[in-house]
Amino acid sequence: MNFTRHLRAGALAFALSTTALTGAMAQDASLDLVEPLAQYKIYVAENTAELVKDTEAFVKAIKDGDVEKAKELFAPTRTSYEAVEPIAELFSDLDVSIDARADDYEKGEEDPTFTGFHRLEYGLWEEGSTEGLDEYADQLMEDVKELNSRINELTFPPETVVGGAAALMEEVAATKISGEEDRYSRTDLWDFKANFDGAYKIFDLLKPVLEEKDSEEFLKTVQGNFDDVYEVLEEYETDEGGYVSYTKLSDEDRNLLSTKVNTLAEDLSTLRGKLGLG
Amino acid sequence: MTDKTKDNGNHSGFGCPFTSRRQVLFGLGGAGSALAFGAFPARAEEGDGHQVTDAPTGLNSTLERVPFYGKHQAGIVTPRPATGIMAAFDVVARTPEDLETMLRKLTERIVFLTQGGEVPELDPKLPPPDSGILGPVVAPDNLTITVGLGASLFERREFLTPLKPRTLQRMTQFPNDALDAERCHGDLSLQFCANLQDTNIHALRDIVKNLPEYLVLRWMQEGDVPVIPPKPDGETESARNFLGFRDGSANPDSNDGILMQKVVWVGEGDGEPQWAHGGTYQAVRIIRNFVERWDRTPLKEQEEIFGRKKDSGAPFGGTRESDVPDYTRDPQGELTPLDAHIRLANPRTPEADDNLILRRPFNYSNGVTKSGQLDQGLLFIAYQADLEKGFIAVQTKLNGEPLEEYIKPVGGGYFFVLPGVSGPDRYLGQDLIEAVSTADTPI
Ligand code: HEM
Repeated sequence: MNFTRHLRAGALAFALSTTALTGAMAQDASLDLVEPLAQYKIYVAENTAELVKDTEAFVKAIKDGDVEKAKELFAPTRTSYEAVEPIAELFSDLDVSIDARADDYEKGEEDPTFTGFHRLEYGLWEEGSTEGLDEYADQLMEDVKELNSRINELTFPPETVVGGAAALMEEVAATKISGEEDRYSRTDLWDFKANFDGAYKIFDLLKPVLEEKDSEEFLKTVQGNFDDVYEVLEEYETDEGGYVSYTKLSDEDRNLLSTKVNTLAEDLSTLRGKLGLG
Repeated sequence: MTDKTKDNGNHSGFGCPFTSRRQVLFGLGGAGSALAFGAFPARAEEGDGHQVTDAPTGLNSTLERVPFYGKHQAGIVTPRPATGIMAAFDVVARTPEDLETMLRKLTERIVFLTQGGEVPELDPKLPPPDSGILGPVVAPDNLTITVGLGASLFERREFLTPLKPRTLQRMTQFPNDALDAERCHGDLSLQFCANLQDTNIHALRDIVKNLPEYLVLRWMQEGDVPVIPPKPDGETESARNFLGFRDGSANPDSNDGILMQKVVWVGEGDGEPQWAHGGTYQAVRIIRNFVERWDRTPLKEQEEIFGRKKDSGAPFGGTRESDVPDYTRDPQGELTPLDAHIRLANPRTPEADDNLILRRPFNYSNGVTKSGQLDQGLLFIAYQADLEKGFIAVQTKLNGEPLEEYIKPVGGGYFFVLPGVSGPDRYLGQDLIEAVSTADTPI
């Protein structure tokens, strides 16, 4: 399996100097972690920049009243958010506004404060129209830009970054494997892929540090479980590089993904401890 | 007839119900691991003089311990404690090797959990190895964990298909059923029974945490049975179900080894694969009871539906729970209606002896339905040496019974309970795995 394919190739034009980055890191980060954290910051910055760009196109399609185009852009736009969720979630006001689901509200879809990606998804798929979506689209644009600028200012807490790999797996295990996330569009597999990419990125960046501290066995097991996940996901890829509907996922593969997610969650939950973070 | 000496016409099973519990109490003094608790004489397949469905006495200690090793798994003829959980899983294991690793791990966890011991301490920067619900020393609390395999496990793996127990199959819909797909079937079942529900929950969480690469939880149902403090004369009675009736009265005598060999355990002459000897079939049914409606039903009708008195549990014409109805003297059903639950389930003819089953149910309460009714019922669990002659035949006889107006089966499944583990060098299902490799070896 070629992993580089799953990782965003090359840094975007974010000329973040290493010194500036180091300064932005929490003071107590052990020396070993400086480099992985700096790399991770670049990864996140790339993703949020991409998110802003993709959201612009998505919002434009909605405001143009182009339902088909908007539907097409929905899933790929979300992936850059899903990949960096552990960091994005640090801003809970924005996370709610951008990514809440109908069941986070007592009144469900009818709740006027239900906004963000899933409100737009509901309009596009369930109601099949862009009518009344403009204000939600504008709000999403504003939120995403705000998120981008807040993240660029942010000092990344090392325990959040290291713990983020497990946190992503917990997300999938708790609410995504069930197919609740993208319930109108059934594009859940796009999100899965992005969550796994986000977790794998963290693991991959920490590998050199872990190699010094931990058994090869652990690295091999975790790598093996990621490999298995990507192998399953690959079967559901479309020719255009996207994913088929979540309803196409066989029970057997869902069970397999579920065991992999939970095993990864168990193993990755030890990363903080292994690296001596609280 | 003596109390609880169940009469089936042609056997002389005579269990003494009044002996006190023989279960081993264990001391926690400084022992560091399950093994440190030493060797215990009792075997997993032994009862303790109580019937499986006797009401728990409430005098139980968390130090009570049911032996793990034996010819049969514990949790079947061992007396039913106050609480239980039935959990069904899908298994992710593609090769015999995966399956073996899973079964070895499962055995290891079950030995620790049921025998008790200290939880290892780790660096506090790491997640603790145990949920901690039972504190730093896990007390056995009468816990049993009984492992069964579903038909799907065999059917979806070519290497297992030829080894499937003869009557193991996927549960089908009976006429009164309204099965909820989310509470049916599974590749593997775990029955947890303990004095305290927290002990079962702790054990379930331990297994979920330790076997994430193999097990996906499908459904689970918790249940319990009411505790009845022992009477001064030492007499025991069956625990009551949520319809208010004593449940288990006419169970075959679980202390009668010969009878249990015939009714419950798979053995020679049953036409089963060798690896399955010592195992048994488990039928699980989640059966909702319409309790509001039941409570608005005249007592006389309630009693006629079952064929027993509600207060004493005695059959009609008798005075005590242990009395045995004599249907030969009531061919028209003037005393016990012909469609009474107990008469349909066991007409007490010589042929009906082939259909005996050992019931070991729990009551459940799951909250409120959409209609604002109580969601309560029976977590029915029965064991038998032949699924078709046992549960399926009995349920078929019960189809259309008057009780159906008050009950609705909504879930469950059929499983084959693995034979017991004879000693610490062996694991659950080892004979099955070894049968796979024998079959694989080219001759
Ligand atoms: C909610 C559902 C059920 C309730 C409330 C219920 C209740 C009872 C009660 C009160 C008795 C009499 C006391 C006793 O011998 O235990 C009884 C007996 C019995 N029940 Fe059930 N039962 C239910 C479902 C079933 C099912 C599904 C089966 C098997 C298919 C079954 C098989 C039997 C048998 C074999 C007896 C003993 C009959 C005898 O030997 O006299 N029951 N049940």
